[in-house]
Amino acid sequence: MAFLDNSGDIILDAVLTDTGRMRLARGDGSFRIAKFALGDDEIDYSQYQNTNYVDGAHASGSAYYDLEIVQTPVLEAFTNNTSNLKSKLISISRTNIQYLPELVLNTIHPDGKINTSSPNQNTFLVAVNNDTEVALLGADGELKNARIQSAMAGSSVSTESSFRIILDQGINSNEAGSNSTPIPGDLIETQYIIEIDDRFGSVVDTSGQISAAASFIDDDNIASYFLTLNTDKKFIERIPPVPAERTGMYPAISGPLGTRLQFSIRASLDLSSNNYLFTRLGGTITIGSTSFNNIDATVRVTGGKTGYRLDIPVRFLKKA
Amino acid sequence: MATVYKTLTNNDVTSTRTLLHEAIPITGTIVSGTYGDFGSEGNVKDFSHEMFQSVYDYPYLSSSANHIFDIAVGYATSALGNNMSDTYHNKKVNVYNQMAQVLMGYDHTGSIREFDQDGDLTGGSKITGSVFLNFSRLLVKDEIKKGSFSITFGTGTYADAFNGVGYKVGDTNAATAYKVNSPAGEYGILYEQSPSTNTVPIGLIFYQAGIAVLNYTDRLTGSADAAGTDTPFDVDSETAMGLLTGSYSPKASANAWRNRIQNISFNNTVELNSAVYFCRANHNEFNYSANPTYISGSKIRVKENPDDAPTSYITTVGLYSSDNELLAVAKLSEPLKKDPTNEVTLRVRLDY
Repeated sequence: MAFLDNSGDIILDAVLTDTGRMRLARGDGSFRIAKFALGDDEIDYSQYQNTNYVDGAHASGSAYYDLEIVQTPVLEAFTNNTSNLKSKLISISRTNIQYLPELVLNTIHPDGKINTSSPNQNTFLVAVNNDTEVALLGADGELKNARIQSAMAGSSVSTESSFRIILDQGINSNEAGSNSTPIPGDLIETQYIIEIDDRFGSVVDTSGQISAAASFIDDDNIASYFLTLNTDKKFIERIPPVPAERTGMYPAISGPLGTRLQFSIRASLDLSSNNYLFTRLGGTITIGSTSFNNIDATVRVTGGKTGYRLDIPVRFLKKA
Repeated sequence: MATVYKTLTNNDVTSTRTLLHEAIPITGTIVSGTYGDFGSEGNVKDFSHEMFQSVYDYPYLSSSANHIFDIAVGYATSALGNNMSDTYHNKKVNVYNQMAQVLMGYDHTGSIREFDQDGDLTGGSKITGSVFLNFSRLLVKDEIKKGSFSITFGTGTYADAFNGVGYKVGDTNAATAYKVNSPAGEYGILYEQSPSTNTVPIGLIFYQAGIAVLNYTDRLTGSADAAGTDTPFDVDSETAMGLLTGSYSPKASANAWRNRIQNISFNNTVELNSAVYFCRANHNEFNYSANPTYISGSKIRVKENPDDAPTSYITTVGLYSSDNELLAVAKLSEPLKKDPTNEVTLRVRLDY
């Protein structure tokens, strides 16, 4: 008789993240583990050698499809809380799903365009004070086509010419249907988490009048904003499948549509009132003939239900 | 409904307590003679107050040096033959009383209780003159393992201390027979272990405090029953008992003792309190991934048609607060396949 396989239980040693240590040190009861998630940061699923593989299915059959993946070496844990579990595993009880929704940065919408020209290629711009707003967006009331692409008014209530960040969620494949095909209810994202360095800015709605409330700010000054479909209607809306109802929405998803998250960024007082952070963390660039101090940062958006995550490059600018 | 977090219930969390032991051998060559001429070694630190002497494992001016233990000597005011006018009388009484206060506490009258030879505080002989070995927290950790402590002294002449059979004392049978009537935790009785086995108490070892109290007035110096009264103990041929008096500095006594320490050995103990989280992935959970490479044009790569089973590979477990802040992380040694045909329970241990 052979021994039974007793490897069903696996014991792992966990390390506290920097935020975990901070909460433990705080001693106010905020260190309480309530839930878990599983991640697969190291896995490259494009190495799965079935018929979808670039060189076709593995010749030895389906038992060998994941040969490369299971040999992937796994890194030790990072203690920086934002460096772990960048991609999480998802629980969906149905097993017959062929297409999963994703988050797509909408650069089709006239007010959602990302900058395409040097020196600000592939980034959103945030003007941190009024002088910079005038330099990037023109004085209030000027024509929209005079503005610099992707620039947001980060100091005042948004001018009409201010750009915004727009993210569309849905199944980005017309093989799964068209924009008019209803998306399955369990694949609609209803909660988004926006993470931004709190020293630089905060999240506001596209009018610039409503500030989102940060749920917490971690030890690295990263503020997390939790926005929900039904309670944060200024930020999240359904993209209707009926064509007449989505006129002017310019969805960036080619298949069934889920929700849209759109927001703008309000620059912090630290950036608008002095140059300390620009000197310490940033540099200087010239746009046209005007010099600006700049800081490059990332705004991270994660779907609360589906876990899909997108990093959006943002450049904070201050006229020198 | 899609979700990425799973709530841990009370049935998914338990706590455990584990004791870890390390063997700590301290050889006499580190204690004396390795880092310079005896009496002026770079790893031995003397202080201007002369209350004690510190021994390091490397010259103490180096940042690589670790503190090993301190040596101090003292006697009780009740010890016979002490002369209050001696230079070091007050310092030695002070050291003894300090240690007695902390380790033995006070009697019913509020007086400092002297160290007792056999731990029976109702009577019997007291230890009125002692050499104290205070081991560093770095070595002791949470406590010394009971029954593991031993110290060996050389019994030869001062110049050739390790010639002949060493005199070894230890906490014989202390694993099952130790005392709990100290305010500083548990302690055991030290007995001679070689060259002969003797049941006469030689000293005390306080396990949690990490302090050995050696009785100056007994057989400790290895010269039979009249210990310390006739064996030349230091460079001036002074006896151990002679060095105990207030006429000699604590440094002189400490040097003399260091010269005779052949070996110290004990096991330390670390008490690990762990929380174990049972992260259970049921057959219909965590089979999909939000990894950007999981899809190509929204189509799942690992599925050729909708009826294929979804598959994912676990490499990381994250423990979160209720507001989704990542508090702890555990990694698997290799990717673990998860699909609807299997269930996985990952036991994640967090040590405190």
